[in-house]
Amino acid sequence: MKEILFRLENVWKTYKMMGKGIETHALRGVSVDVKKGEYVAIIGPSGSGKSTLMHVMGCLDTPNKGNVYVDGKETSVLSEDDLAKIRRRKIGFVFQSYNLIQGLTAAENVALPMRLDGVGKKEAIKRAERYLLRVGLEHRLTHKPNQMSGGEQQRVAIARSLINDPEAILGDEPTGNLDTKSGLSVIKLLEELHVKEKKTVVIVTHDSRLAARADREIHIKDGNIDQDRTNHNNSHSH
Amino acid sequence: MLDLAVKDLKEHKVRTVLTTLGVIIAITAIVSLGSISAGINDMVSEGISMVGSDIIFVMKSFDMSEMSGPPTSMQLESIKEDEIQEISGIFGVKRVVPIISKMMGGFFGEIDGIDMNELDIWGASDIQFKEGYWPDNDDEGIAIGYPISQFFDVGIGDYIVLNKKDVEVYGIFEESSGAYDMAAILPYSYAEDIYDMEGEATMLVVEPEDISMVEDIKNAIEEDYDDLDAMTMADAMAMAQEMTATLNIMTFGIGGVASLVAAIGIIITMYTSVLERRREIGILKAVGAVRWVVLKQILEESIIMSLFGSLVGVGISFFFVDMLNNVLLGGSNLALITPALAIGAVSYGVIITVIFSLYPAWIAVKTDPIDAIRNG
Ligand SMILES: Nc1ncnc2c1ncn2[C@@H]1O[C@H](COP(=O)(O)OP(=O)(O)O)[C@@H](O)[C@H]1O
Ligand SMILES: [Mg+2]
Repeated sequence: MKEILFRLENVWKTYKMMGKGIETHALRGVSVDVKKGEYVAIIGPSGSGKSTLMHVMGCLDTPNKGNVYVDGKETSVLSEDDLAKIRRRKIGFVFQSYNLIQGLTAAENVALPMRLDGVGKKEAIKRAERYLLRVGLEHRLTHKPNQMSGGEQQRVAIARSLINDPEAILGDEPTGNLDTKSGLSVIKLLEELHVKEKKTVVIVTHDSRLAARADREIHIKDGNIDQDRTNHNNSHSH
Repeated sequence: MLDLAVKDLKEHKVRTVLTTLGVIIAITAIVSLGSISAGINDMVSEGISMVGSDIIFVMKSFDMSEMSGPPTSMQLESIKEDEIQEISGIFGVKRVVPIISKMMGGFFGEIDGIDMNELDIWGASDIQFKEGYWPDNDDEGIAIGYPISQFFDVGIGDYIVLNKKDVEVYGIFEESSGAYDMAAILPYSYAEDIYDMEGEATMLVVEPEDISMVEDIKNAIEEDYDDLDAMTMADAMAMAQEMTATLNIMTFGIGGVASLVAAIGIIITMYTSVLERRREIGILKAVGAVRWVVLKQILEESIIMSLFGSLVGVGISFFFVDMLNNVLLGGSNLALITPALAIGAVSYGVIITVIFSLYPAWIAVKTDPIDAIRNG
């Protein structure tokens, strides 16, 4: 049996609306385990709580109730800076809107998490260039985000998510802003990382065809897990 | 550290320049004003060490309320010959040197007629000459401070006009002769002629037999003569301190207001910058920046502006002070930018900026990454 990377126990996330006492429950007591090396798709309608689930899993957000364990460690006892360290070292995020820093070049953007980890500029940039080569962007090293296509920007974001050699890559609708072709190549890149480098890959999507490519589909509805099923006979399974 | 601060400053040139300008103005105001106090302090302590601490100056007292016309037209009444004689007779007095002292028209200087054999009583005998020499007691000549020669553009053998009479320049003091930069000294007997003050004086310099008698002599003079004021060097020092204290209050006042304006500029700029960089800050946090790194991003930006602004402010102050000393005061050292003043001003500029940037920086640290990077 494989080690568990993310464990959520009865996780609640509630947003209080300003002014009136209206509460939105984005997550209503979710419990789920993600094992190391798994390729998981989180699927569900808009507003069902997919992003929130991924944020809580990735220590970007903290639950109001329940426990989150990353690599066996309970996160509720960790400081804000400790959580930042987990995001920096164990997790790589890929967002729908890429979230690159506009003023920085592709290589500088990719180098960022490494520099935040205290590595010098030269070394980090060298490593960043290797990862840009890895995602097929060796010709875009000194380009700024606004000089690149959406697909290219998302590849830069993937290179950035990889630079500190994290355990897992969490992608929140990583193909949401892309056309079918570049979307598919981004998904294939993530799948390659899963197969070749045994990365844990968690993707949020509302596209059932994309979800079907994963080893496991977690269906979310109204802040709860509606269905959790394993896709056998999948080409990516090992 | 991440080059983001420099990029942000470059990206918003106008805002950066305006904010930095606020810092420059504040620091320039503080350093320029502060340099005058520093210069006066320096001049007074130098003057006292030159003159010695044991002499007493005696002048006619004057009542501000009786003064008419502008201060430049103010003429002190003179001390008459018989009074000079009587003061010489006070117990403990070693010698009394009468001086005819006048304001110099058109220049911030002083003309002193004194017996050339008594110059030592206030240390003037130690003055070094750049050119020429002292006039003798029976000469019709004058020795002047270098700034005065520059101001009136005169050399040895040229004439300056005192009370409508031409007076030949015999000597020019070495540059930076302290208080004597602003002095023109001529024989007492010649001053008597020029100002028509036979046997009179505007000021007496009284030397006691012993320093312990200074206070007694001062008290004796003030008790016997209602119309005379006696000032010891301790009094002079206190006066100078009062003056520099006033200047310091001015420096703090004007500098404080300028600092406040600059600080508001910094807060607004940094706050705007934090709002604009909200997404960038969110990304930094999402990919694992700890709070200190986020704080540093913002402080770095404000420190660059304030350090640059403060250094430029000090530079401009050097220029101002140079103008004040050389153009307005003809080469004196009245205003002085000491290293302590320069370093103090730069540190002040940076520290105050950091303090005022803490609030915007705190907003940055508190930014919720999810909120900041939300799609759209
Ligand atoms: N910051 C917030 N404040 C209030 N409500 C929020 C906030 N973030 C998310 N929600 C609400 O929580 C629910 C789940 O949101 P989200 O996880 O983004 O859904 P999904 O990613 O599945 O579209 C939605 O109803 C959304 O409106
Ligand atoms: Mg979402």
